[in-house]
Amino acid sequence: MAPAKKISLSEEELVNGLKSQDTAAMEALFSMYSGALLGVISRIVVQTEVAEDVLQETFVKIWNSASGYDPSKGRLFTWMMNIARNLSIDKLRSKDYKNSNKNQDIENNVDFIDEQKKVTFNADTLGLKDLVTDLKPDFKDVLDMVYFKGYTHVEAAEELNIPLGTVKTRVRMAILELRKKFN
Amino acid sequence: MEELKTYIESGILELYVLGQLSATECTEVEAMAITHPEIKAEITAIEIAIENYAMENAIAPSKQIEEKILSQISNHSAPQTTPIETKIIPLYEDQNDNKIKTLRFALIACSVLLIVSLGLLFSAHRDLNIAKNQITALNLDKEKFATAVSKLEFNKAGMENQIAMFETTEWNTIRLAGVANSPKAQMVVYWNKTDKSILINHTAMNLPKTDSAHEYQLWALVDGKSVSLGVFGENAKEAVQQMETIQKAQAFAVTIEPMGGSANPTMEKMVVMGEINI
Repeated sequence: MAPAKKISLSEEELVNGLKSQDTAAMEALFSMYSGALLGVISRIVVQTEVAEDVLQETFVKIWNSASGYDPSKGRLFTWMMNIARNLSIDKLRSKDYKNSNKNQDIENNVDFIDEQKKVTFNADTLGLKDLVTDLKPDFKDVLDMVYFKGYTHVEAAEELNIPLGTVKTRVRMAILELRKKFN
Repeated sequence: MEELKTYIESGILELYVLGQLSATECTEVEAMAITHPEIKAEITAIEIAIENYAMENAIAPSKQIEEKILSQISNHSAPQTTPIETKIIPLYEDQNDNKIKTLRFALIACSVLLIVSLGLLFSAHRDLNIAKNQITALNLDKEKFATAVSKLEFNKAGMENQIAMFETTEWNTIRLAGVANSPKAQMVVYWNKTDKSILINHTAMNLPKTDSAHEYQLWALVDGKSVSLGVFGENAKEAVQQMETIQKAQAFAVTIEPMGGSANPTMEKMVVMGEINI
């Protein structure tokens, strides 16, 4: 087998291929987005093997529910990312995962996630750290929780003890910062 | 326009992209995106920012997991149902196997039973034939005995009659002796002294054999005329047979006549004759 090269297709081609259950489209999708999705998953589920399991579940779900994706409602990556995030959060809250981490109580789950996070931040990409530290601490905390750790914005408001509206605003400000970086 | 700006700045679009909204809120945002291109553009900008951010922070999956995922996809198999199915199917097969084993055993048992039954049936059929033959043989024996018994009874009745006739004084005994063409023939006729009735005794007669078309006829000779006293056969049922009554006679004779008897005796066929000496 030749070493895998980056296959790249337009979003429209990818969507059409997925909906017609074309395995070549799936290979292209994997080549283009598996890293980004594993990055998202790994922020929530720290253990590499478990994260890769979730990545597998994510691609299978993408493949099986491709017909449910509506391009008019949003970009393909957003759809896939939310599948990955939901499966990651499901895994994090699943009995199996908790058992494998010495039976953490539900009450302790938030702290538990925080403890896991520390390890990941130290071990993983430096780029991410740089980027996040550029954000104002208030924005960083909220985006951290909502985007990286699998909190709902309601949970984040409770955890940070700030109004729900403030959580929303801070998420928006954090993403505006990101937009300035990338656009 | 001011309202749209407020809506955008509320942060709801970011939460929408991050999948944080309820189904109702999502529908609301989608409706807004359709009617307001600015909102659609804002959503796309947020999406692209997050997408780029994710791309920037990608973690390459291991080669093994890539192969595992792609092979699973190309097999078109559902991830969670497959292992469950492969576990469930043998379970059912096991049950079916047990059923089949039981049925197979039952089939063998039935076959053996059938063979044994057929064997027993043939054996019983043979025994039945033997029994039937035995019954036939026994019936033959029984008939022989019955014949012998009836013959004995016949002879006994005849003997008793002879003894009674010998002892009584009411009856005259006339002995008929053989004539020229049947010298060994002989017979006895009993003639009652009071009512003049005639009896013959089949055990006390020895007459030449007749064929099936002829029988014996007893005659009385009265004043030179022959008077028929009736016919009798060779194989009589009763040992003692009553004949016609005759008031007066000088002799008795027996001729062989065609069945049913004749009006006049055939003299050349006379077998016995005896005169009355009273």
